[in-house]
Amino acid sequence: MGEASLGFLNANQAAAEGAITAGLKFFAGYPITPASDLFEYLAKKLPKYGGVVVQSEDEIAAINAIIGASWAGAKAMTATSGPGFSLMAESIGFAAMTETPIVIIQNMRAGPSTGVATATGQGEVMQSRWVSHGHYGIVVLTPFSSQEAYDLTIKAFNIAERLRVPVVVLMDYVLVHTRERVVLKKPPEVEVLERKKPTKPPGEYRPYEPDPEDLVPPMANYGEGYAVLVESMAHDERGYYAPVDDVYERLVKRLVDKIEVNRHMVVESATYHTDDAEVLFVAFGSVARSVMSVVKEARMEGKKYGLFRPISLWPMDEKGLRKAAENAEQVIVVEMNYGQLVREVERIVRDKPVHLVPLLKLDLPTPEEIVEAARRWL
Amino acid sequence: MERLEIMIAGRGGQGILLAGYLLGLTLIKHGYYVVQSESYSAETRGGDSRSELIVLKEQGEADYMRVRRADIAVFMYGEQLRKYSDKVRNDALVIVDSTFIKPEELREGWRSILIPFSRIAEEQAGTIRVANIVMLGALARITGLYTLDELKETIQRNVKPGWIELNLRAAELGYKVAEEHGA
Repeated sequence: MGEASLGFLNANQAAAEGAITAGLKFFAGYPITPASDLFEYLAKKLPKYGGVVVQSEDEIAAINAIIGASWAGAKAMTATSGPGFSLMAESIGFAAMTETPIVIIQNMRAGPSTGVATATGQGEVMQSRWVSHGHYGIVVLTPFSSQEAYDLTIKAFNIAERLRVPVVVLMDYVLVHTRERVVLKKPPEVEVLERKKPTKPPGEYRPYEPDPEDLVPPMANYGEGYAVLVESMAHDERGYYAPVDDVYERLVKRLVDKIEVNRHMVVESATYHTDDAEVLFVAFGSVARSVMSVVKEARMEGKKYGLFRPISLWPMDEKGLRKAAENAEQVIVVEMNYGQLVREVERIVRDKPVHLVPLLKLDLPTPEEIVEAARRWL
Repeated sequence: MERLEIMIAGRGGQGILLAGYLLGLTLIKHGYYVVQSESYSAETRGGDSRSELIVLKEQGEADYMRVRRADIAVFMYGEQLRKYSDKVRNDALVIVDSTFIKPEELREGWRSILIPFSRIAEEQAGTIRVANIVMLGALARITGLYTLDELKETIQRNVKPGWIELNLRAAELGYKVAEEHGA
């Protein structure tokens, strides 16, 4: 370890490499375009690192398998696309409620339903946050290059393990079909975090008793001598079902607040020429690369355009967005759906007009197509 | 060099995708940031096959991921030349396999280089299957983006063992023929 190497990888391969670097030991999945080649890549490679790759009978089994593996102490992950993600909905809530560290790679393709399996899209901005019923905390990270697929998958594991939450890495069809140079940094050049272990003896340990400062309970795995209850019903600190107001309120608030309290390790964004931007674009994923070209070319013509790119989508860097929009006369949200991210941007930037440029296209929009679609505001 | 766009196109079976992959690997070893995408039709032989590379000095400048107007275009077959000419700059460097493409098919304004990659591969390396590597050898000489040795290292590390020797020879042939063409 320690030596960084160079890869020429698509985002699937880069995410797989990131997972290996983060210490992935168990992967379960069900084949789906465009996530299957991540699966194949890991099937070849992970066993060499002492890990296990399982093809399950469907996506529901895959996510439940990784939840079980996580409780057995393994860093665990699955990868899928929209249809599979929908099937995983119930168990993602189960992972949130039982505070099970898991990572889910979700490669967006054109929906709804089976949609167009071989085309790109960004239809899961809202679904990735609210995929399961009830109110809970979840983290969603969105790479826009193979390098970020590598880096953010490592970050996803760090957050999942340290905060005991499900973390989604939301990529798209274009990213996973484009190869790019990736610097594969290894520890200590890159930070790899482990879950917190109990400091109390087994007799005193309570599996859902949080540390007061970060609101995260230390996690005892199966087989380590602790009494561990994995309870998806409303439970108290011991893990006992407790259908009473104060316990329920305390639990749900903590499931959400633990992400807020630890925002510093989650929230991330990038800006491109935003300092004096009069027109601020907001975009994420592969389409943000096209918007970068729009901004770059406008700047050559003296037009003051800028780009704010959320890297953590949930939660978003709200302060960063407001700062980027400070000098803007208008904010233009470019997304490959019919208006989802725009609702968050409207909520965060309240004092400027926020416009939506919805691009319901099946391939990566060109910079020209974006300019054309946004023309009425430019 | 700010952003260099390269397009390699031909028909399925000509090794276009492998050529694009090996070219990308070689350019990365040389220190460039490379973005590569590919498109192909469902047929494994005879359909369209296209590899696009964006070559940059720094990752920070990696914007739009596809070719808009290629600065360098390689056409290994006439049908794809006709189909994708509009994605090539008017003053582009255009390298074509003259085994399959006639000089009159080339646009005025292009800096065109015609080399019979497929014929050379067949006659001098013994199989048309390495025409793509003959082309990469020539491209090293013509563009100066990477050296023949860097290409040979990529071949050694990434080509199936039984094919290494043949491909190394093909790369050398391509480099030499480009030299003879005055490149």
